[in-house]
Amino acid sequence: MNQTAVDQAFFIYFYLSLSILSIAVIVSKNIIHSAFFLLIFLLHVAAVFLFLNSEFLMVIQIIVYVGGVLALFVFAIMVMNIKEELKHRRFVRFAGAGILVSLLFFAVFYGFVKNVKVSSNPPPPNDVNLLGSLLYSYYLLPFEILSVVLLIALVAGIIIARKSPREEK
Amino acid sequence: MINEYLLLSATLFTIGFIGFLIRRDLIVMLMCLEIMFNAVNISFAAFSYYGGNFIGQVFVLFSIALAASEAAVGLAIVLALVRATGVNHSDEIIRLRG
Repeated sequence: MNQTAVDQAFFIYFYLSLSILSIAVIVSKNIIHSAFFLLIFLLHVAAVFLFLNSEFLMVIQIIVYVGGVLALFVFAIMVMNIKEELKHRRFVRFAGAGILVSLLFFAVFYGFVKNVKVSSNPPPPNDVNLLGSLLYSYYLLPFEILSVVLLIALVAGIIIARKSPREEK
Repeated sequence: MINEYLLLSATLFTIGFIGFLIRRDLIVMLMCLEIMFNAVNISFAAFSYYGGNFIGQVFVLFSIALAASEAAVGLAIVLALVRATGVNHSDEIIRLRG
């Protein structure tokens, strides 16, 4: 009977912790600390996906983001070898204007989000087989295009990050 | 209940937007982009769950793959920029031809 109360409590916990973690990503002085806060943030987002009854997305979130993207960030921080981060200025000069514009944006956004109604269908079945068959039948063309995009991004990342020949000699 | 998930999504998107606007370090700006991607993914998954439609999860998959490729290319660009000019702050990039 207390199912909704437990849901509410967990949702409030995730709301507060996600907000605090994303603010901590922004305000932390050390970039490595930002990367670790981003790690905890991504794991919490995976838990929110689990609340929304989509387990496959949770697994993909952990594998791709935590295992791939975050490792890429940490590698980039290590390769660039940033040392002077402890006493440099973190924010741009017009940071106050940026916060003001963002809060205006949030006000408009809240006006849209406040009373959204969806048709009350039953929630979709928690079925990975259905997701896979949908990906390989109806969404086959976007899936293949996405594979080409990933290949191009891989090759482009290698080519851009390569040392330029002018620099080598 | 969907309103609460959308409010969560809007809050995270706004925080990521603030970070993207006001931070100077290019890597933290890319991290804020990831926060914004995650906010949009939460919104997709919430619509998929409460609308009773399976399509949202498929699009979250596409969006995650695009975010991965975006992070790869963005970090490569930042790395090339740091190698070429030694600058890793967004307001110090004042030359176009290096």
